[in-house]
Amino acid sequence: MAYDDYLDGKPVIVTAALTGGVHGKEAHPNLPETPAEIGDAAAACEAAGASIVHLHARRDNGERAFDAERFQAVTDAVRERADDVIVQHSTGGTGVPTDLRAQPLRTDPAPETASLDMGPLNRYDRLTSENTRATVRTLRGEMRERGIKPELEVFNDGHLNEALRIVDDLAEPPYLNLIFGPGTLSLPHPRSLLTLVESLPAGAEFNVLGFGRHQLPLTTLSVLLGGHVRVGLEDNLYYRRGELAESNAQLVERAVRIAETLGRPVASPAEAREIIKI
Amino acid sequence: MADRCPYLEYRRESGGKRFETERAYCTAAEAFVQPMRADVCNDRYGLGHATDCEIFLEAEAGTDAGRD
Repeated sequence: MAYDDYLDGKPVIVTAALTGGVHGKEAHPNLPETPAEIGDAAAACEAAGASIVHLHARRDNGERAFDAERFQAVTDAVRERADDVIVQHSTGGTGVPTDLRAQPLRTDPAPETASLDMGPLNRYDRLTSENTRATVRTLRGEMRERGIKPELEVFNDGHLNEALRIVDDLAEPPYLNLIFGPGTLSLPHPRSLLTLVESLPAGAEFNVLGFGRHQLPLTTLSVLLGGHVRVGLEDNLYYRRGELAESNAQLVERAVRIAETLGRPVASPAEAREIIKI
Repeated sequence: MADRCPYLEYRRESGGKRFETERAYCTAAEAFVQPMRADVCNDRYGLGHATDCEIFLEAEAGTDAGRD
């Protein structure tokens, strides 16, 4: 069970979500947007203890980019600057056609892992990121062809149902990212996390993402439950109430400090590859 | 070629914020917009400001009300 993993001192995988596809420098001046900025941030986060970097691509003006060429520039910049960090590309994209969302899977080399959204998610007042089963199937198929480990993005409890539909077709262990926050996300509360963890398939590895002020408490609880953690400016701009985080690396440093204080070592990239079987 | 929102401008500076590259600015909201919303402003990927942006719709409703 998950708590046994905590007691056993299982290493924690720290994922740094550096940029995202929603807000940009208008929200935080240090949010990395260019390939060079993302590469520098990835290296700093790896030095701080992150073993996975979750990547999105942006145009020069910060707007979303999905083409393989821009993702290639981003992933090249990361690989040039970082040592051994695991590269994870996002396949999310509200309102964007599926074929364009598959473009980040087509870099050379392919990302070792990629996100796979499990269902619909509301944005603003009038948008929904649909993530139909057909879209999930298409993206998952291309990941399989390219040897890319999917990270199943469970935005709410219903998405766990969707994940359970396909989990038997995935390579062991299934790797799920449990997401908590406002709107169509799971209710951001410790009891929601406990319920979801109790419902995970046997042998699954799970990661926890809490938006905004929920990042710190829910990732801390994940450490106690034997899970992994995701932090970074994509999900949370603040270090504490009213104080912007200095950087992605600052958030990673705190996550590492908490994990180690609670008695779990932080996984190196090599250990992370072993844990989630990349 | 798709239309784009009439309230969209590209600016380097406003409201105490300054950027190296011009960024999407909404003259209805009087603020720089998030990159995801900028795709709506620009009617990219099948998104459309006239159907998908509540800021545009509220601004237009205000304009219409003023005319009445």
